[in-house]
Amino acid sequence: MTKVLVPSVCPYCGAGCGFFIAVEKECATGIEYMPDHPVSEGALCSKGNAALEIIYHPERLTSPLKRKGEGFSRISWEEAIDLVARAFGEAVKKHGPGSIALLSSSKCSNEENYLIEKLARLLGSPNVDNCARLCHAPSVVGLNRTLGAAGMTNPIPDIANSKCIFIIGSNLAENHPVLSRWIHRAKDAGAVVIVADPRMTHTSWMADVFLQLKPGTDVALLNGMAHVIIKEGLVDRDYIAQRTRGFEALAESVKDYPPEKVAEITGVPAGDIVRAARAYAISPASSILYSMGITQHSTGTDNVQAVSNLALICGHLGKPGTGVMPLRGQNNVQGACDMGALAEFYPGYKKADDPETIKYFSSAWGVESLPLGPGLTAIQMIDAAATGEIKAMYIVGEDPANSDPCSQNVHSALNNLDFLVVQDIFMTATAQLADVVLPAAVWAEKEGSFTNTERRVQWSCKALDPPGAALSDLEIVCLIGKSLGLDFDYPDAAMVLAEINRTVPQYGGITWERLGKAGLIWPCPSNDHPGTPILHSSGFRLAEGRASIVPVPYRPAAEDVSWDYPLILTTGRVAVHHNAGSMTRRSPSLMEREPDLYVEINTADAVRLKVADGDEVTITTPRGETEAHARLTDSVKRGVVFMPFHFPGTNILTTEVTDPEARIPEFKVSACKISRRD
Amino acid sequence: MIKVDVGLCLGCLSCSNVCPSQNITRTETGEMRSIHWKRCKEECDLCVEFCPAKALTLVPFDETVPEPDVSFELVACKICGSRYATEPMLKRIESALPANMQKDSEGLEWIRVCPACRRNIEAERATKQMVLGRSRKSP
Amino acid sequence: MPVYIDISRCIGCRSCEVACQRVHGGSGHINVHFVGDSASIPIFCHHCEEANCTVACFTGALHKEGERTAFDVDKCTGCGLCKLACPFGVVWTNKIAHKCDLCEGRDAPACVTTCPANALSTDFELASRRARSRAARAAAYGGRR
Repeated sequence: MTKVLVPSVCPYCGAGCGFFIAVEKECATGIEYMPDHPVSEGALCSKGNAALEIIYHPERLTSPLKRKGEGFSRISWEEAIDLVARAFGEAVKKHGPGSIALLSSSKCSNEENYLIEKLARLLGSPNVDNCARLCHAPSVVGLNRTLGAAGMTNPIPDIANSKCIFIIGSNLAENHPVLSRWIHRAKDAGAVVIVADPRMTHTSWMADVFLQLKPGTDVALLNGMAHVIIKEGLVDRDYIAQRTRGFEALAESVKDYPPEKVAEITGVPAGDIVRAARAYAISPASSILYSMGITQHSTGTDNVQAVSNLALICGHLGKPGTGVMPLRGQNNVQGACDMGALAEFYPGYKKADDPETIKYFSSAWGVESLPLGPGLTAIQMIDAAATGEIKAMYIVGEDPANSDPCSQNVHSALNNLDFLVVQDIFMTATAQLADVVLPAAVWAEKEGSFTNTERRVQWSCKALDPPGAALSDLEIVCLIGKSLGLDFDYPDAAMVLAEINRTVPQYGGITWERLGKAGLIWPCPSNDHPGTPILHSSGFRLAEGRASIVPVPYRPAAEDVSWDYPLILTTGRVAVHHNAGSMTRRSPSLMEREPDLYVEINTADAVRLKVADGDEVTITTPRGETEAHARLTDSVKRGVVFMPFHFPGTNILTTEVTDPEARIPEFKVSACKISRRD
Repeated sequence: MIKVDVGLCLGCLSCSNVCPSQNITRTETGEMRSIHWKRCKEECDLCVEFCPAKALTLVPFDETVPEPDVSFELVACKICGSRYATEPMLKRIESALPANMQKDSEGLEWIRVCPACRRNIEAERATKQMVLGRSRKSP
Repeated sequence: MPVYIDISRCIGCRSCEVACQRVHGGSGHINVHFVGDSASIPIFCHHCEEANCTVACFTGALHKEGERTAFDVDKCTGCGLCKLACPFGVVWTNKIAHKCDLCEGRDAPACVTTCPANALSTDFELASRRARSRAARAAAYGGRR
């Protein structure tokens, strides 16, 4: 047998890099780069290079499992599906459809997310969500309100056309490494790069202006910049007059944010705020890139709106090199949201509380009734499980027991369920709590479309068969749907995509046949539409085609330092790990580079705490405590400590306070104390 | 059987690596490296051929001759102190390279520095300007 | 053609390390070093014109092949003299020697293709061309560099 190269899309971050999987004798033997890929141009980060290591990991789940006392026993698919169908059927019958909840996965394909969304709604439950809730829910809420569409406005390669790149709350050098090639390309063409982050991250190395702000003071910084821009008359008056509404209210509200006052709140020198504001406003094309540093706050939605205000008053939207770019963390978190795996939306961001939506999907899906109104979000589901409101839960490819804040509460909540079914590739902390565990295929063992952070829909081909009895998520969802008496007869992903083409207008023209090498960027409403790389070039999909400028006052983070908890803990990612780590922590070449949980402490704080580099320390918050190695550094300011969240300990510490609208937990700011373990 | 000219041996372990019958054994404790040649009856001279110092000769088997042993104290790196080579090996490098190559641009006798420290020095020197520029940017 | 680094672009993501390890069966020849909190740089073989390692090697396992410092596994005895002769510490021994082979047989070295930031290249002039272009444009746009 000869070597076959199967085109694939990287299963890690949202950049959507392509590569080939080399397959010999039905075995993946290596990775070959894809130099003509539009985003990555053949490049891959360390995680991408190590992607194959998880496929043949000995801990892969290969058979359905049923809880048996403290452990699990292997069962057949028939028995597993029967158990799941019966439990959900009973819960619906006894406690009503609101008593079940489905957690979909931003690691799954568009087709799988669409089917999970459809399964929940057809069973009558509005409770379906995905882990976008923990990363970009504020972008969905905030950008839908201000710009009328949630997602990156411009494609990644377009960053190279920018003349000023403002990166706030994103360590893209480590988390989306291939983006840095486009930023450097812009720099070579003379672009100014501004980075705002509480840590001196690898991303800050690219900066011409670096704003090291205090965690949770983003709105103050952004309002301060808006203040300077408006006061110095650097706004785009024509753009504001023709394309926006609400400017006067913003001008009034940011009067309270002169640079000197903002400097006091944020800890950023006033001169730097002015420099950054001028550079952003004056440049002919400026873009803003942001991610979790903006969204994972109790003021997440405000932060997002403040970001979009800045772009709107300067008219930096709808043209090459401009834009508001939320960088998404998972390979298909954009697609999972597009497919409606969100509590407040049906597929295509059709509002769940709009009777028109219900009418539209009732006729599209050929059913009489569908649940109206937003359901429970990911975090609310856990709370509802704790109170007994939710009886049965179906979790696909997510690990809330690790990734949710205050993770020990998640454990007890999930234990309180009558029935929990977890579908995953490994025995995660969440799967350990399940009644039934279903073995799923990894990305290379199935086909489907994935939407990356720039809205580019790409087709990933099947390279291998799943191990043992494992099945693709699509096959499993169809089996469950059918045994619950639903019409879930989809032989393959292409058939589901064909239904998506009919029901989701943005994906209308994104047919399987058209997804060639470079994919298509939605909105792509019809078969002859070329896709829409740049959004908002001719107005906004809001009333009168105008975007909304929404003034947002600065609110401090929910937790502040106190006598008992004198340090601010902020969390984030490192280059060689991904999210809750269930994949990267099983990857030997990544683990050898970052094997343990650590905490970054400023050298001056360390002297006071009597902690030396490499010491074992205990980090304590009101929620609990975790042990980690101390790493002394000057990349965090005094009073701030940083921990990566890829290891089980971190989210024992984080606060459960959420954004009032988007319900995202404030992962980025918790008050803590640190002591050396002797 | 192998005869060893102890004065010539570098302690490089070539012979031990190439011996097909594992008759040349080595022990390495933190500071010392010892090599031991068993009295072998083989008519093989791979180790003789592959000795960089020509310290070995093939001689007729004689069980009255004691098995040769040689020990070297490992040299400590001038920077980190880790033991990384035998003195005769370093001497050999020093005699093989022209004198002007043995000190780097900053006068460091790099041969007396272990490979790990050489990499660190290279990294620090190459990034010096970069680090300076970046530290000026942040307060 | 040897690999060159544009230090200003390195983002410390360690892709080159993982890629090199991947294509060389587990032992890589490129290491990313972090200097304080403000810079990183991959350290790897320069393929020196007058390579000390080839001088130290007594079997001819290490030898020049055009620009490349090539290595013939079959001739290596694992003496480790090459490792001690390399001023940059980029020849390793693990029973026998291993070092950068510029990914013989591939279109380009894996580290060059995989580098997300385009920091590595086989074009000696590239880094200085970019620096010149940056300086010229910065003057035009009022940026710092």
